[in-house]
Amino acid sequence: MRLVTRTGQGLLGPLGVLWRERDLLGVLFRRDMAVRTSGTLFGGLWMFVQPALQVVAFWFLLDFVLRVRFPGAVPFLHYFLAGMIPWQMMADAMNRSVYLMGEFAPLYARAVFPLPLLPLLPPLVAGAIYGVVYTLVMLVLEGPASAAAAPLVIVALMLWLMPVCYLLSLVGVFVRDLAQAVPFLITIVFYLTPILYMPEMLPERAQDWMILNPFADLMASVHGVLQGTEAGLGNVLRPLAVWLVLLGPAWVLFHRATPHIREAL
Amino acid sequence: MTAIRLAGAGRTYAIYSHPFDRLLEILTKRPRRREIDALRPTDLEVPKGQVLGLIGSNGAGKSTLLKLIAATLSPSTGEVRVAGSVGALLELGGGFHPDMTGRDNVFLKGAIMGVPREEMRSRYQEITAFAGIGDFMDQPLKTYSSGMFMRLAFAVATCVEPDILLIDEALSVGDGAFARKSFDRIMQFKAAGRTILFCSHSLYQVEAICDRVVWLDRGAVRGDGEPAAVVAAYNDFLDGKSRPQEPVAAVEAVAAPPEPEAGPPPSSGRRPARLHRVKISADGVVGPRLTLRTGESDLEIQCEFVADSSIANPTLAATIARTDGQVVCSAGSRNDGVVLDRGANGRGRVGLCFPRLALLKGTYVVNVYLLCEHAIHCYDKALMVAELQVAQKGLEQGLVSLPRQWQVGPDDG
Repeated sequence: MRLVTRTGQGLLGPLGVLWRERDLLGVLFRRDMAVRTSGTLFGGLWMFVQPALQVVAFWFLLDFVLRVRFPGAVPFLHYFLAGMIPWQMMADAMNRSVYLMGEFAPLYARAVFPLPLLPLLPPLVAGAIYGVVYTLVMLVLEGPASAAAAPLVIVALMLWLMPVCYLLSLVGVFVRDLAQAVPFLITIVFYLTPILYMPEMLPERAQDWMILNPFADLMASVHGVLQGTEAGLGNVLRPLAVWLVLLGPAWVLFHRATPHIREAL
Repeated sequence: MTAIRLAGAGRTYAIYSHPFDRLLEILTKRPRRREIDALRPTDLEVPKGQVLGLIGSNGAGKSTLLKLIAATLSPSTGEVRVAGSVGALLELGGGFHPDMTGRDNVFLKGAIMGVPREEMRSRYQEITAFAGIGDFMDQPLKTYSSGMFMRLAFAVATCVEPDILLIDEALSVGDGAFARKSFDRIMQFKAAGRTILFCSHSLYQVEAICDRVVWLDRGAVRGDGEPAAVVAAYNDFLDGKSRPQEPVAAVEAVAAPPEPEAGPPPSSGRRPARLHRVKISADGVVGPRLTLRTGESDLEIQCEFVADSSIANPTLAATIARTDGQVVCSAGSRNDGVVLDRGANGRGRVGLCFPRLALLKGTYVVNVYLLCEHAIHCYDKALMVAELQVAQKGLEQGLVSLPRQWQVGPDDG
């Protein structure tokens, strides 16, 4: 019973903070967008042009230069982009979470500040940026139905990332080594996840191991929803289980750590 | 109605040998720390509309108490209850982001304090006007001087009109004109019946502004009550500990002796009023070192000052202190009901005479202060303007020779 309550808190807690502090979040969100493009000629446009240019570069390399063709239900380029853009969004959010508390330390260290709001910022900012590009790319590649589903996919991934970002930002305060290790680990996970390749290209034994990688399941689900590739119930249930397991502890531990975070930095 | 209530609220600071120990403690709930008491469990009730001063030496727990009320620290024991919104000026730069512009920080701070964006927009003009940093509002905060930073922080904290205002040593910050402005703002808060908690080492200011004073010593309440009584007890305590001489005063006396000749006109200086010339003389002899005789010499203090026409007539005060900083006596024009006068050019002069000086033998110094009309805010001061070497006839002991009468006669039972 306690587990159910805690898990419920882990979901409703952050959403409650999101609602209560929407004004503050708005200020931080706008500031984040402004900082990324301050001093540039095209301003906010860059945020979307940059990932879009990346897509064009991938298209040029894979389709035009290397002419990569794999047998499968969808063209490889389509498969790759449908996975790569959400992956980049997740990698962006996770990488930033590790540094997050240090980045905002001046705001909360000696003042009143709703600390649990901060870990929600990386998935929100990353989701907003990549969500737009993803929707446009899906519209071009897969048509309006997939384009309509793309923002929902991004929102689902943002929700999934929520407890992960709480845990990463919490541990990042106390274990500085994490800041060095996480970018490397994310790259490793990238190669272990069927993004650059299709799952069926793996040897069968390796395919069995994929059930240990929740990101592989997430990607299989994303492809299934947007491109109609084969995805089983397991691909949805396994990451869902990981999410449910993480929700409670992430929220409880972050709250327990709040006074420590204020003092540690 | 109670604005602030502390019930057994205390705070310890934890020390860890490695940040990783904190994480282990969070995960396992097993303590891996050493603890230091910053504030022992304290009960305190502050009624609405009271102006409470906190005094005590460094490390006594004043700032910790303010932080507990501001909720930037959570109590280790007991609880803190606050009724109403809190505006806090606790540490320079607290709650501001150095990379964000002044404008962004204003809105951010407003959002943190729960002020709706629309309301914040309408107050923005007032805040920038009060802070007076104009074009800098669109520059990142890290380019600000500490004075500009403090002005912005003060403007934001007070413009949103919190029910409770917490101030930690803020009155002395900023240039003269702003210090006066911020002081006025605090007095407006007081007049409006808001609750103010204010901690300062300036005992004079505390006594002048507060309705009640709490004296903290090593994390515990040592005195609580009437400002005059608590400040006096604290002074006794400091004397018992061989009161250290204010180092600031000593430095200023060396670095900035009162200017003997005309300074710049009042409009070019940033202080709204300043001492222009201070002349100390004993029996007509002028100089920084004077020799006087108890009960015979006349000590005269002649001051010239300049004051902006925009401010009310300033007041003047002088203290005679021992070389260890202990004030022996003082005289203030406001206290004595004397109104200073000044000409159309803002200049004025004032003379103060102590006829037949009652001080007994010893070495004393003279300090002169130019104050606001309420004799609380100090515009300018000239510390240790003269050293008095007092000699006496006879064997009378102590610091002063008080006027007295003897009555003698045989005791016939």
